[in-house]
Amino acid sequence: MARIVVVTSGKGGVGKTTTSAAFASGLALRGHRTVVIDFDVGLRNLDLVLGCERRVVYDVVNVIHGEARLQQALIKDKHCENLYVLPTSQTRDKDALTQEGVAAIMEELRQDFDYIVCDSPAGIERGALMALYHADEAIVVTNPEVSSVRDSDRILGIIAARSRRAEAGQEPVKEHLLLTRYAPKRVQGGEMLSIDDVQELLRIPLLGVIPESESVLQASNQGIPAIHMKGTDVAAAYEDVVARFLGEDRPLRFTQPERTGFFKRLFGG
Amino acid sequence: MPGTAAAAQEARPGALRLSGGVFTLSVLTLESPDAQQLATRLQEERQRNPAAAALLKNAPVVLDLSAIPGEASLALGEILAVLRGAQLLPVGVRNAAPGQQQLAGKHHLPILRGQERPAEPVAAPASAVQQRGALLIDQPVRSGQRVYARGGDLICLGVVNAGAEVLADGHIHVYAPLRGRALAGVSGDETARIFCSSLEAELVSIAGLYRMPEPHLEQWGQASQVFTTNEQLHIAPLGGRNT
Ligand SMILES: Nc1ncnc2c1ncn2[C@@H]1O[C@H](COP(=O)(O)OP(=O)(O)OP(=O)(O)O)[C@@H](O)[C@H]1O
Ligand SMILES: [Mg+2]
Repeated sequence: MARIVVVTSGKGGVGKTTTSAAFASGLALRGHRTVVIDFDVGLRNLDLVLGCERRVVYDVVNVIHGEARLQQALIKDKHCENLYVLPTSQTRDKDALTQEGVAAIMEELRQDFDYIVCDSPAGIERGALMALYHADEAIVVTNPEVSSVRDSDRILGIIAARSRRAEAGQEPVKEHLLLTRYAPKRVQGGEMLSIDDVQELLRIPLLGVIPESESVLQASNQGIPAIHMKGTDVAAAYEDVVARFLGEDRPLRFTQPERTGFFKRLFGG
Repeated sequence: MPGTAAAAQEARPGALRLSGGVFTLSVLTLESPDAQQLATRLQEERQRNPAAAALLKNAPVVLDLSAIPGEASLALGEILAVLRGAQLLPVGVRNAAPGQQQLAGKHHLPILRGQERPAEPVAAPASAVQQRGALLIDQPVRSGQRVYARGGDLICLGVVNAGAEVLADGHIHVYAPLRGRALAGVSGDETARIFCSSLEAELVSIAGLYRMPEPHLEQWGQASQVFTTNEQLHIAPLGGRNT
């Protein structure tokens, strides 16, 4: 039986899709059978980030409307074994997802996979609710700025009240904070919130910190999940995130400004 | 300058006195435009939960029309009659389509704003416990959430974040930072108080008197209590001499 993990944020453009692709790939690299689902109907980004956009024939909306079987819509990832992608439709809108349709897909995937990763659209409306409804765990992607934190708070409230687990009175959805686009220098300069600031506001356990990095854009332009960008801070940070999610103890990295110039030379940075 | 305004009013005896107030109203979401169906539903509800029905006797209610398509024919007059027949007092509508707003105007019902978004979450979080008249919340109350302790006190063990709203007919205790809105004594109890371990609230209110604290306030970030005397709202240190 799979565990269902939603990657969500409320606010747009904070790194949900980047994280969904990297995180799902990381789980697969460690041998877990994983499927990642794009819930962002109408925007279709996940297949681009995973570099499988030219292999999309059927999508989740086709499956819900009975136009294709689930097995026909699943795409096998080309970067790693064990990873499958369920893409979304670019031509439909969010109302194309139905509660029963999504439930049936989850039920079927649960039998075959270890993890189901749900890439949520931004916002707090229908699409986001569909993505989080079935979750067992939630990765709340947050940038170190006030508006992102506020929206994360909002989505945490919705998870606590409107998820299947909440409605059924079961053990609550397990919440994880993932700080992304973290720029230590700008934090030090007071332009961005610090890790402590964000934790003080949201009060959920920290799963990891992903630094702001140009390699993310390079990776997505090439259709390669960031976790495969060997030797980059971002890949290492996402690997840590997967390890912590699976229960390993890993210290935080990439949270201090790099020593540069004079100091770098002096301390051999 | 409330003082000046009050003085000006006193100088003209008999003039209207208009003051602001924050009220909590029950909201009834209309499920169908059919008045008969509403009558049946109200009847069922009353039988299922007589205690709640008794509490709502003569309660002012706001009619939420978000579930009624703008083009559906709505017999508002009949619906109002059904509500009044059930001893509810309709005082306004919200989430009305343009045509429905006109209709409401014909029946002299104001259009109320606020909470326009249809996807509003939550009353109390799932693990909330109401005991001996106090409602205990052991999780953070987050932006967009609203918790109301009807008929009693509210105790929050976790943070009340900005964008959240906590209300009680009695006192409100927050054993963590209070960053959102807190309204105590919402049914008019002026002896209700608000207690919090750090005052960072967007708004505090007792029995309709309210204040929006600012970071330059002396009590900002401090353990505080909010109370009223002689229709004045006070914010004071917890355990201070005013207690
Ligand atoms: N750690 C990072 N460093 C630099 N840029 C990043 C990082 N993470 C994401 N980005 C960039 O931010 C943009 C938004 O990322 P992404 O699409 O993953 O966000 P999203 O939350 O899925 O957005 P949406 O809400 O639109 O679905 C992209 O251009 C991506 O390359
Ligand atoms: Mg996205």
